[in-house]
Amino acid sequence: MHGEATADAPVITAARSQTAPRWRGRDRAKWFFLLPGVVWILLFTIFPLLYAISMSLHAYRFGMQGAFIGLGNFQRLLTDPVLREDLLTTFQFVIASVAIEMVLGIGLALLFNREMRGRGFLRTLATLPLFTTPVAIGYLGITLFYEEGGPINAFIQTLGGPQIPWLSNPFWAKVAIVLLDIWQWTPFVFLVSLAGLQGLSQDLTEASEVDGAAWWQNLLHIVLPLMAPLIWLILLLRAIEAFKVFDTVVTLTAGGPGRATEVISRYTYITMRKFSDYGYAAAQGFLLLLIVSVLFTLLWSRIKHNYGAPR
Amino acid sequence: MADRKQLELARALLAGRVDRRDFLKQASALGISAAAANLFLRAAPVAGAQETELLPPLVAEPCGDNCPFAGQTVTVLVNTGGGEKGSIEGPFHEVREEFEAATGATLNIAAVPFEEHFPKLIEDMASGTGQYDTSIAGAWWLGDLVAADFLQPYDDYIADTSGKFPEWDYDAVLPGPRSLLEYGGKKYMVANDHDGQVLYYRSDLFADAEHQKAFADQYNYDLAVPTTWDQFSDIAEYFNGKDLNGDGEPDSGVVLHLKVGQQGMFHFMSFSAPFVIGPENPKLYWFNPDDMTPLLNSAGHLAALNKLIEVTKFGPEAMFGWLLPEGWSYFLAGRAAMTFTWGDLGALAQETPERGGQSTVQGKTGAGPIPGTNGYFNISTNAMVETNEPNMVGNTTGGSWAGVISKFSKAPEATYFLLALMATKPKSVVYGYRGWDGVDPGRTFHFLPPNGDNSIEGYEGAGWAASDAEAYTNAYFENFGAELQFPYLRIPGTFEYWQALDVRLSEAITGQSTPEDALNSVVADFEAITDRLGREAQLEQYKASLGL
Repeated sequence: MHGEATADAPVITAARSQTAPRWRGRDRAKWFFLLPGVVWILLFTIFPLLYAISMSLHAYRFGMQGAFIGLGNFQRLLTDPVLREDLLTTFQFVIASVAIEMVLGIGLALLFNREMRGRGFLRTLATLPLFTTPVAIGYLGITLFYEEGGPINAFIQTLGGPQIPWLSNPFWAKVAIVLLDIWQWTPFVFLVSLAGLQGLSQDLTEASEVDGAAWWQNLLHIVLPLMAPLIWLILLLRAIEAFKVFDTVVTLTAGGPGRATEVISRYTYITMRKFSDYGYAAAQGFLLLLIVSVLFTLLWSRIKHNYGAPR
Repeated sequence: MADRKQLELARALLAGRVDRRDFLKQASALGISAAAANLFLRAAPVAGAQETELLPPLVAEPCGDNCPFAGQTVTVLVNTGGGEKGSIEGPFHEVREEFEAATGATLNIAAVPFEEHFPKLIEDMASGTGQYDTSIAGAWWLGDLVAADFLQPYDDYIADTSGKFPEWDYDAVLPGPRSLLEYGGKKYMVANDHDGQVLYYRSDLFADAEHQKAFADQYNYDLAVPTTWDQFSDIAEYFNGKDLNGDGEPDSGVVLHLKVGQQGMFHFMSFSAPFVIGPENPKLYWFNPDDMTPLLNSAGHLAALNKLIEVTKFGPEAMFGWLLPEGWSYFLAGRAAMTFTWGDLGALAQETPERGGQSTVQGKTGAGPIPGTNGYFNISTNAMVETNEPNMVGNTTGGSWAGVISKFSKAPEATYFLLALMATKPKSVVYGYRGWDGVDPGRTFHFLPPNGDNSIEGYEGAGWAASDAEAYTNAYFENFGAELQFPYLRIPGTFEYWQALDVRLSEAITGQSTPEDALNSVVADFEAITDRLGREAQLEQYKASLGL
């Protein structure tokens, strides 16, 4: 140990020399088990991050690296009107879809948090969209939202409603994207909320019922406050994921009509894949990383402040 | 007397005991000629094929023991069109056996979605990987590909008359599409598909006496194939909301495919050409050749966009979100009186359900050149010019998908052999007849006399209605042969310029911005792109591409 009295040193030295072979053997074994994880992180996280930083500091032409331009690509972020439009669209999407998913998901969880016939089957059915790939959902959306006789419009018109221009109108195209996201991700909110509800002690609610509290009073003053840390966590996870929406936008609307549904991830994709401007695309990626990091920091600090940090 | 082994092999093929690939391999070893092999293959049963299937003839002789490219591999990158019967992709599946038997090389077909094609090609070439020997590229990609020195010209190959390569006639390509095959004086694209947009209309509706009277009463002139966009708009308005296919449902005056990112901007290019291009201004459409200032917000362009928006009101609103097949399907179902689009539609109109297609308008599909205007805006003098006759402008708008040879190919000669084989007259004639293969006419042998040396019997034999074939071939010959041609943009960055144009047009058409704002935004977008790519370099390329 550092700074120990000399008198101890021989003992320690002797002890160390007695244990040295066993210690080296354990060390090797430890590295053997750690190595795959370390290699994985280096290959798929550290190296790509460093390479992306390098890309963002260079100009690109025809997909080939050109001159070093320092923060030129990042300065371009500040003056790009397309990026501003797409960021606004992305925020609109995140707020609308996540808010609705939270309400619907928690509502479904409350509904399922009781004994009922076929609960297991219904729960499985409700969670199926979660296991569908977003690309498939987008292509399915083309059929569902087909304006000339597609199933959704056919159903609406059967009820006497109008033919809704789901994919040809800027507003309705946004609604279509949000609806698909809600369909896919509400089950996630539902599953996690249900798990949380089922982990709550029933004593408090039973006691309040005995005291004459109505169901909504139970919900507002007991259940939701107890569920609050979990709800904030679900909100955090969904919001972070929602900022990265890509597949459904690309397959369903291609960002259109016009640029009505173009989110930042699609703009980054076009910048990189169609314009071969890898440097600017990398800068956009870092911007999205910054936004998500700020969001995470804000929400997580609130969770920690209100409900204490996990030990 | 035929060799016994040859006869046994032929019997085995006809009985289905040996497949087409094995037959070709064994046939070459036994010395069966290409002509004879072709006859046997045509007679042989093909799994899943319909009796009316039209197949291109064999052209290349099997190489036997003396294969020029034995052991080599050619990988072609192509838009995925639906597999073996897919647009652009399908002919490669058809020709694979013949190519491999004739060369000893192996053909790999890499099909990717349209959106992924250009990025994959650029990545492969930028990295020098050379995974793809050839790509069936869009003509507007040449600016980037040539400027980056990614391509190998084939001038030497086509000049080789030793018999090493299949021969095809470069000069048989009409001037308009031929200009897209070369860049900077060198030949890069091997002729395949020849794109240009023409007008399609329901000839039965136009010939109907009741419609003729009603139209004349309403508009005070006779119903006829429109020669101006004003007439087109009137006709579209007249037919909009009427039942055009007898199913009791209201249909549309016009249909287009206008989904963003799906080539909708080509419609604007074809549509707007006669508003801007004219005898006194044959070339100025995109940029000012003095300083590269974009011209897209001229009075002519604005008038065109306003007229296009007016016309779209006579089509289904859903078309603002439609892909190309969706728009075409609407017309083929008899639900639109008119459209303007590529040659594929004319051929698809012949593919009735009996022939495995979906057309209900065979024999009712007329075609004509893209309508013109009664005047155009001369950008160079900043003044409107009235014309006595309709100002008609031909176009080669579209991809004109054709093979280019990668500079990083390890088998460039084998690659050129493949592309040249598919460019031969016997094959190209059949490709031109068919709608599903995505290859459109553009060479003299595709057209009927006196414009070319094809025949109406040839088209009828391929399943066409005679009236449709005559209208179609005449429309395309007129289009490609027009004195005034829409200037095709092929400078570096065209992908980016056209992406910006596509988005802003969609914004205007769907009411997200006014036409004027949309075109001003296009100009601003173009300026930003030009500045980033280098104004002087872009100007030089632009002037060279237009011969200025």
